[in-house]
Amino acid sequence: MKNIKMMALIGILGIGTISGQIARVDQEVYGMDCAPCAYGLERGLKKMDGLQEVRVSLNDGKAYLGLAEKNDLTLRSIQEEVKKNGFSAKKAEVVLMGNATKEDGQWYIETDNERFAVSQDTSIELVQKLAVGRTTLSGTVQDEDDDNLSDQWEIILSKIE
Amino acid sequence: MICRISLNIRYVKLILLLAISGSVMAQGHGPLYGLQTPTLAKGGVDLNVAGMSLGTETETSYMLRYLFSYGITEDLQVNLTTPTLIERLGETPRTRGNSNMPANGDIEASLWYRFFSNAFGVGKRFESTAIVGVSTPTDNVRGQVNVGNAIHAAISTGYASRTWYAWIGGGYQYYFERDDERLGDLPYASAVVGYRPNIFLGDYPKPDWRIFIESLAEFPGVNKIDGQLDLSDTRSTKVLVGPSFLGLYGAWGISFGAMVPVVQDLTPGWVKERYRIAVNLSYWL
Repeated sequence: MKNIKMMALIGILGIGTISGQIARVDQEVYGMDCAPCAYGLERGLKKMDGLQEVRVSLNDGKAYLGLAEKNDLTLRSIQEEVKKNGFSAKKAEVVLMGNATKEDGQWYIETDNERFAVSQDTSIELVQKLAVGRTTLSGTVQDEDDDNLSDQWEIILSKIE
Repeated sequence: MICRISLNIRYVKLILLLAISGSVMAQGHGPLYGLQTPTLAKGGVDLNVAGMSLGTETETSYMLRYLFSYGITEDLQVNLTTPTLIERLGETPRTRGNSNMPANGDIEASLWYRFFSNAFGVGKRFESTAIVGVSTPTDNVRGQVNVGNAIHAAISTGYASRTWYAWIGGGYQYYFERDDERLGDLPYASAVVGYRPNIFLGDYPKPDWRIFIESLAEFPGVNKIDGQLDLSDTRSTKVLVGPSFLGLYGAWGISFGAMVPVVQDLTPGWVKERYRIAVNLSYWL
């Protein structure tokens, strides 16, 4: 529901005025077992420019992040903050705005700072809805090795606006 | 009646010691006595103050201990701990006491390196940490033996989850000679099991409580007195067991617990322990 609201808000604000960026991240965090762990992660995330809303759940093992309307945050910087706190960043559910491109039959969604390759596990119906150009979508970004994070990700799409 | 009043005075004394200690902190978010594995976040700061008491057959000691910890990286942490001894023991049992806060009068600097960590589920992880430290005493004589500087090394490994915790570890402390005398070395081992009941599984930022059963085995070695090894002194064995409780709320933590000896196979003439109690308050900056 939150994702839908976020996407609606993005639509109302006018996509044309916003560059490619992440709008929302529900980041899965492994290894976080105690209140000071959650406190430390929450505090670290709140120090990052571009985050409007931060909520950490021990029981879900997730950090729920709402990003500012205009931000330069990357998924990589968020996952690096998780690692800095001694935990492991896993999958992330994201809402992002970006440019859809197609190279050699492979679809990509590009924000200003990162590139998300559309996974082959995405349903055919959704892939068929993709069109080159600006798009707003949500999906699950696959886990990458915490020690070798880059600006390249793989995403399984769940909704295209 | 006299005994009860005496106990009450001791209790009040410990509380007062904590009350006057100003800003507060604890010894991490693990056990109170046993070796543990968690290290701070990169750039994280943990401030602690502990009130400790150790009772022997004839005396009782009271001590405040301060601990400052800083996370150089998420796997490397530096610590500095200093004591304020309120009442020293004349006959001091050989002990190290807590995992990162010695129960004696040493000032200690240590480095914790979490060399293995595997977070494999929500709230779950295996990890192992190595500890090396150096210390210098604030007292000249301990148990009638000149006390010098010391080095300490330990290793621990453990499992943490939202419900169960377990750590095992072992360490070794070696005292250097001072004025031709030397305290015996101190190998030790610890084992801890922790549990958080469902009632305390509330999500952050609700308070977070857990209980530990801790055990500690210490094997103090022979002393060297006036340049001679004390041949009458052989390695002793002490095993202590007890519960501890840890409560966490946001950046704050409090832990308290007690240990009682279940085995005391000591060199003749060495003083026997009756109990150890400790309270820690923590603040994570």
